[in-house]
This record gives sequence, structure tokens and C-alpha cells, in this order.
Amino acid sequence: MIRFDNVTRKYGKKVAVAGLDLTIPAGELFAFLGPNGAGKTTSVKLLVGLLRPNSGTVSVCGHDTVADTRQATQFLGYVPDRAFLYEKLSGREHLEFVGEMRGLDRKRLAAAVALVSEQFGLTEFLDDLTETYSHGMNQRLVFASALLHDPPVLVVDEPMVGLDPRSSRLVKDLLRARASAGKTVFMSTHTLAVAEEIADRIGVIDRGRLIFLGTQDELGQELSAGERSLEELFLQLTAESEGCDGKNAASGSGEPETAVSESGTSGTVVSESCVSETPVPERDPTD
Amino acid sequence: MSRQLVPNPLLNDCATRAIAAPAPGVPDLLSAEAEARVFWRMRSRVVSTLVEQTFSQARLRLSLIVGLSSFLWVVLFWLFLEGFQFLKNAVPNDLHDETVRIVFGMFFVTMTVMLTFSSGIILYSSLFKAPEIAFLLTIPARVQRIFLHKFQEAILLSSWAFILLGSPMLLAYGLVAGAPSYYFMLLVPFLVAFTYIPAGIGAIACMVIVRHLSSGRVLVLAILIGAVVAVTLGVGRSVTAGFNQNLLTPTWFREILDRLKFTEHRLLPSWWLSSGLLEAARNEWSESVLFLTLTVSNALFFRQLGVWTAGAVFRPAYSALYGRRVARRRTRVACIDRIAIRLTSMLPVQVRLLIVKDLRIFRRDPVQWGQFLIFFGLLALYFLNIRRFSYEVYYRGWVNMVSFLNVSVVGLLLATFTTRFIFPMISLETGRFWMLGLLPLRRETVLWSKFVFAVGGSIIPCSSLILLSDAMLRVSPKILASHQLTCLILCFGLSGIAVGLGAKMPSLREQSPSRIAAGFGGTLNLVFSTLYIIVVVLLTAVPVHFYLGSGASEGLLAYRPDLGSWLQFWLVAGTAASIVLGVLATVVPLQIGFRAFRKIEF
Repeated sequence: MIRFDNVTRKYGKKVAVAGLDLTIPAGELFAFLGPNGAGKTTSVKLLVGLLRPNSGTVSVCGHDTVADTRQATQFLGYVPDRAFLYEKLSGREHLEFVGEMRGLDRKRLAAAVALVSEQFGLTEFLDDLTETYSHGMNQRLVFASALLHDPPVLVVDEPMVGLDPRSSRLVKDLLRARASAGKTVFMSTHTLAVAEEIADRIGVIDRGRLIFLGTQDELGQELSAGERSLEELFLQLTAESEGCDGKNAASGSGEPETAVSESGTSGTVVSESCVSETPVPERDPTD
Repeated sequence: MSRQLVPNPLLNDCATRAIAAPAPGVPDLLSAEAEARVFWRMRSRVVSTLVEQTFSQARLRLSLIVGLSSFLWVVLFWLFLEGFQFLKNAVPNDLHDETVRIVFGMFFVTMTVMLTFSSGIILYSSLFKAPEIAFLLTIPARVQRIFLHKFQEAILLSSWAFILLGSPMLLAYGLVAGAPSYYFMLLVPFLVAFTYIPAGIGAIACMVIVRHLSSGRVLVLAILIGAVVAVTLGVGRSVTAGFNQNLLTPTWFREILDRLKFTEHRLLPSWWLSSGLLEAARNEWSESVLFLTLTVSNALFFRQLGVWTAGAVFRPAYSALYGRRVARRRTRVACIDRIAIRLTSMLPVQVRLLIVKDLRIFRRDPVQWGQFLIFFGLLALYFLNIRRFSYEVYYRGWVNMVSFLNVSVVGLLLATFTTRFIFPMISLETGRFWMLGLLPLRRETVLWSKFVFAVGGSIIPCSSLILLSDAMLRVSPKILASHQLTCLILCFGLSGIAVGLGAKMPSLREQSPSRIAAGFGGTLNLVFSTLYIIVVVLLTAVPVHFYLGSGASEGLLAYRPDLGSWLQFWLVAGTAASIVLGVLATVVPLQIGFRAFRKIEF
């Protein structure tokens, strides 16, 4: 459903994403974790077509986000961390614009608007201008517009920021429900507890490199083996990555020595250059 | 892999089933025509809301804009009418047509350059910086459609000044020349088609520069503007050079026309436009339609070229712009901060700290102060060139009148400065009140710091500009002193009005300074400031003009010496009244502002 194939993206000489290989199949809720400036938002922007990779390819449901951008975005629903809404449109008009742009016919659009309005508790203020909405209302409308066409892939960047506990619960359950219904959910977040609670698989990125990738079970094993919390594991991983980066910097390249590989469905993956004794499983050929 | 769906009490059964139900499939992508219709529908809804809100919530601003624009249009129309009438009567027939052609040519060439730059700059902002684009690029909209959506907006925004200036000139010419009715009907298609050409060139240049020179785009723009200024200065010099004698003679006029022939180059769209309209005015409809066809076909060509360019480079350009490395900016205590700290050392430390903070925020935002640097710079250039005119003016009364008009212009510029920068400062501060409000700081201190910042920031450039103008016009020391006093009264009063009104009518939710300035409070501030300037200048300028400005031989006192004592009284009373008005304009709004700011809840 989502595939990053040896993707590298630089900002000038700074490598934001380094040789990222990642495949997220249908029915999976993938949580992408990492500290500030790790490369999460760059990866999301590459995925939704806002940025283009310097090398490698990103595809959504088989559609390259560079060569076939429109088709790829048609399969996506995107909830950015700072969303845009037309202030001079009402919530309904905004949804209708998005739905029409997605190619929904009149009947299906009306049904979809009614469904998402009810689902996100928008009905009461759907005909108010969006400039009068609170942050929470904005966020709910953005979710509603991202799900209007029932996309096979949902990309969410920092979904919990500014949400009250009720809305937060609503969003978590919604993401979980979509994955269970066979859709792909890509969630970038800082909130470790949310990732631990709802994700099927977790990836940790730091300084552009994927330094951990594993399922909840593998994460559980990892945590129980070291008797650590996810927070402690996260801090340890990112600290190791920092040391690794220091090594690279010392070598003079300033860039990662090897690309990061990906496990497919099992195993823990870290950068070869950093922890050489960690086995790197072969890629799942079905991905 | 999939985990168990947890029942959610917040999602009703229907909603949960809908989420989990198999999707009816992703819809097909829209055709280009359907996409255009969806965009138009969205835009017409936005425009209709804007119009409705403007009529219900911003009537004062709307009336001011319409009123001032109509006034400007009527004045321009009258000036052009008189000008063309003069040309018709004073210039021989063989030269008349050529003169009009050159006037049109110069005007439209200038407009071509200005429209190219303004549309390029507007499109850079709307295509690459607007949050709307990041949204549109993540839905399956064609980039060509996104480009057209913004291109049409840019044309509207960049061409209103062209229409405001061009329409009175062309209407006036049509009336003086006794043009047939279709001349007036062809004006709209001619102007619209012409606007598309420079706007298209600006749009294409903008996208190509961002695509290939995203890191150096500001430098490229600076070089382009520099080149245009250099060419303009070169042309200006070559047109005016060698005319030390025989000014305003037929030979001089003939020579000027010859030197301006470059505006009639056959490849210039401005020539197609002026030729088409002049042919229509002469009732040569077939020739006129030929030029209209030429202009329209080129307009469509540049529009299409823009669409193709967008299809090829817009997404890569967007990615390149946001993929460049933003240099980390290291800041130190700059020289200007040190000067500000030293200059404000007499003030309480809290006021000083707030002033230095405001100064840093202001000078680190070139978008904000850049336009004022241009305005003040242009005014300085004009003042530097006043001497050329003053040599020709033998009547001292005119020199004094010009000098007071210059004071008024500086005052009006200052009013826009205080409206645009000082008035929104208090509203913007309310957003940071979580910090300022927790400091051991009296609320009045915040307003005092804004007031001192405004006065200090306005006195230096305004006083210098007026001094420059007076020096170039060689006015008497007494008039110079009077001008400086007027300047001081204006700076204090305008700062008081802006700070006081800003505190009384803050926009607590708005974070954009330009929107705050364009709101009701900002508009009211501009109106009060303008009225204040008019009254102060009249109080000081009129008596000074009659009493000090008139020379012994040609002034009023030469004919009516008995009015001397009365004019002297008027001079003293007018000056005293302007000082009192200045004190009132400073103190009263500040007091109102203090009261309001003390009570405000954040």
C-alpha cells in the first residue's frame, strides 16, 4: 500500500531522510516516531507528494508519488500537523469542495458528508464559517475531509496535538477501526503512549535513518527483555543514533555510511554502521 | 497483524460499521472541465461570503476605498481631459497624433514593466508561500488548475492600479477625440488582454526562477529590479540630456518626441494596445480589430505558456524551494541595538527593554519595512531632484507652497506607517500576553514603550526628509523652523493616535499585521490621522505661506501692507493652536488607550 524504496531527501547538504526502505501493507496501523528534526515530517511530505525525493521512489497503492502524483493522492487521505481550511467557506462547503475534487458524485458526496459529520460530531456547526471554529473543531473537520472519499491510505501527522481527551479517544479509535477494516494508516507522532496503544508496527527514525522497526509483539519482547518502558527504549535508541552520527561525522562524510534496510513483517532493524552485530533480515519478497 | 477493533462508545454503531465496511472504491479522477467547475464554485462561494461580510461588517472601509478611489479617478479624468484638450488646441495636427501615440506608448511601456514585476511577486507569494497551495497539492488537483486559480487572482490584484490609472486617460482621450462608440466598448477587451501578457511573463519568470535558482531567488529579483532601474535611469538621462537651453520650444518638443520613439517598437504589446485604441478613435475599425486580435492571441499564448510551464516545473519548483537548506541565523547585539540602548538609557529599564525588543522584531522582518524603505527612498529621490524645478520657479510663493505640500506628503506617509506598523503592535502584543502579563510590569509601561518607539522611529526619517526638501528648495530659516515644528507635532500626534486606538480597539484573534491594519480600527486610525495632518498643516502652513513665504515684490503684503499685523497674529495663533492640537492628539488617545488596556482581558 505504501512503499518507500531507498528514498533519500536532502536539504542542501543536510540529509533529512537517508536511504529509507519501508513497506506498509494494507490493514496496518504504522506509527512513525522520532525526535524533533528526525525526518518524520519530511517522510510524510514525500509520501503525500509535497516534496520529491533526491533518489529512490515513494509509491501509494502502486502509484509513484512523483510520476503519477494525482493518482497517488487520490488514494490518500492526509491530515497535516498544521491544516489549511478555507476560512470563508462553511464546514459543509469545505467538505463539498474536497469531495467534488475527489470525484464523488452528488449522491455519494451527500451520503459521505452526512456520515463524516455525524461521525466527527460536526453536524451542529457544519454550516458555520470555518473561521469561527476552535482548534478542536478544525481538527475534526480536517479528519472528516481526509476520510470523505474513504481512502485506502490515511496519512496523519501529529494527530493528537490540541485535542481534548474525548476527541483524542475518538481519533485513536477511528485510526484503529480503519486499520481493522483493511485500510493502511501511517501515523507520525511524538506521543509514544499513543503509538504503543494503537499501532501494529512502530518505526523510529532519527537523523534521517530508520533505527528501529518492529511489531507490537517485538516491541513488547524488546521492552520486557531490557525491563524498559517505550520511552526508555526510545531515548536509548536515539542516543545510540546520536553516537553513531558522531562516528559518521568523525569519518568526515557527515552522511550515513549505509542505507537502512527494512524487515518487512518481523525483526528489529537498526543501522548497520551503528550496531554491526544486529542481524538484518532479508526483505519480504511479497512486499 | 491486525489488532482487535475496540468498541468505541463515542462512535455510534452506524459510524463504526461505515468505517469498517468495504469501500465502494476510489472514485475516478475528475476531467479538466469538471475540475474547473469545482474551483469556480469554491471561488464564487468564497467571494460571495467576502462581499457579504464587507457589506455587513466593513462598511466604513468599503466607503473609504470606494470614495477615495472615485475621487482619485475623477481628478485623473479631469487632468487627462484638460491635458488632451490642451494638446488638441496647442499642438499642430501633424504633431498631435504623434504626441498622443508617444504619451500612450510611455504609459503602457511603464505599465508593462510594473505589471510583469507585480504579478511575478504576487504569484511567488500565492503559489509558493500560501498554506492553501500545500493543501491543494495533496488533493488530486491538476497543477495547471492550481496555477490558473492563482494566476487569475494575481491578475486581479496587480491590474487594479492599471485600470484606475488607465481608464480615465483612455476615456478622456476618447471624449476629446470624438471617438465612435465602439472605441469605448473595445477598451475593456483591450485592457484585459493586454494585462494577461505582462502577467503571463511575470508568472513564467517566477516559476522558472524558483525551479532553477530557489536559493538565489532574492538575489535574482534584486538584480532584475536593479537592471530595470538602471535602464529607466539611462533612458531618462538620454531623453533629458542636452536641454540646458531652448526649453519648451517647438525644437525641444520635436527632439523629445524623437527620443521617445523607442516606445513604438513593433514588438511591444504596449504598441499594439495604443495603436489599436488610436485606430478605433480614428474610426478605423478594421485596423483596430486587427490589433485587438493580435493582443488577444498573444494574451492567450502567454496564458497557455504559463499553464505549460506550471505543468512542467511547478511541483519540482515547490519541492526545490522547500528542499533548500535554510541557513541558521546567528544574531548578535547589532550596532543599531547598541545605539537604541544608548539613546534610551534615560528611560526606565523596562521601557528600554521593550523598545529594543520591538526594534529587533521590526528590523528582522524585511517584508514589513521593505515597502516603507521604498516609499521613503522614492520621496528622498524626489526631494533630491526638486532643485531642477526650483530653478525654473521664480515666484517664491510657489516654492513655499511646494515645501508645505512636501510636509503634507511626509505626514501622509507617516500616517500609513503608524497605521500599518504601530497600530497593530498592541494587538500583536496581546498574543504574547502570557509572557508580558506575568512579568512584574505595569500595563501602561507596554503602551509607553510603543509610544516612544513610534515617536523615535518616525521623527528621524521624517525630520530628515523635510530638512532635505527645505534645503533643496532653499526656503528661509524661519520656514524651515516652522516645518520642523510641524513635523514634531505630526510625529507625536500620529504616534499617540495609533497607540491609543491600537489599545482601545485591538484585534485579539488576528495575527497578521496587515489584516489588523485593514480592519475597522486600522481604517479609523488612518481617517483620524489624515484629518489630523490636514488640520495641522493648514493651521501652520497657510499663515506661514502668506506672512513669511510671500516676497516683498509679489506677495500679499506688497499689495495689502495693512494686513501685516493680522497675518502676524494668525501666524502666532495658528502655530499655538497646532501645538495645542498636537498635545491633545497625543494625550487624549493615550489616556483612552491606557484605560482600555488596563481593563482588557486576555
